Amino acid sequence: MTEAMTQPIDILIQLQDLDCLIRDLRDPEMASQQQRLGFALEDIQELERSRELLAGQVENERLLQIYERMSRRFVRVIVPVEGRVCTGCRMSLPTSDPTRQADSATCDICENCGRILYRR
Amino acid sequence: MSSAALPAASRMLFLEEYLRPTLFIPELKSKRKDPALEELVAQVAAAQLTRHPDRVLEAVRRRESMGSTGLGKGIAVPHARSTLVKQRTVVVARSKKGVDYDAPDGKPAQLLFLLVAPPLERDPVYLNLMAEIVGAVRLARTRQRLLDAADFKTFRRILVEATRD
Ligand SMILES: [Zn+2]
Repeated sequence: MTEAMTQPIDILIQLQDLDCLIRDLRDPEMASQQQRLGFALEDIQELERSRELLAGQVENERLLQIYERMSRRFVRVIVPVEGRVCTGCRMSLPTSDPTRQADSATCDICENCGRILYRR
Repeated sequence: MSSAALPAASRMLFLEEYLRPTLFIPELKSKRKDPALEELVAQVAAAQLTRHPDRVLEAVRRRESMGSTGLGKGIAVPHARSTLVKQRTVVVARSKKGVDYDAPDGKPAQLLFLLVAPPLERDPVYLNLMAEIVGAVRLARTRQRLLDAADFKTFRRILVEATRD
């Protein structure tokens, strides 16, 4: 049932999901409200180690740098393209050259907002 | 378990609109936690809300590794942010025999609510949904009625009423 994704985008998506979890657990308000609801929350050190390992698997250094830089500003750095629209900034991508290629990787970057795009 | 994460005045009700017959599992097959999580995520894929259940499952497992989402009293609310899920989704599942879920009171989970949502810059609804679910099932009487409900329509009605109490 699971469809295969290309290497860099697959790992970057896992990285984004992991970053979301780390962000939620680090957020004092989110964490305290979860604990009030009865959820157990453990130390996130283990997660941070997993994150280092995962980031190390991204073969394209430049793509990882783009992700790391953008993720300081945005929660959603890796976003799907819907039709011809970047769902990060809602801008239509140009028809002739829909996306700018990031190095030799198979990932595309939105010219308007700089987010990393994937097709789902 | 407290009834709400936000003060009553700012509390809005969302859960109702997330309850769908295609996202309801009347009786889970699995009696163990990990295969039960797999069943829950498979339902998200069956409803065409993800094409990558393996990745969604991984996010759910990762959250679980940070502490059980089993809350005791037979309730579990596994949850995760996943880029590969199309929209906020709640899967509701029952298990008459119970799922061994590593809950603080040691009781098996009989009512399971999987909440998965894509990452958003700001998403108060995610936490509110969690709070609504926990609040709705706080009474033993409601939990029993949910377990006894003959069909999804009845289950939904009981749960929606309980969120308004
Ligand atoms: Zn964009």
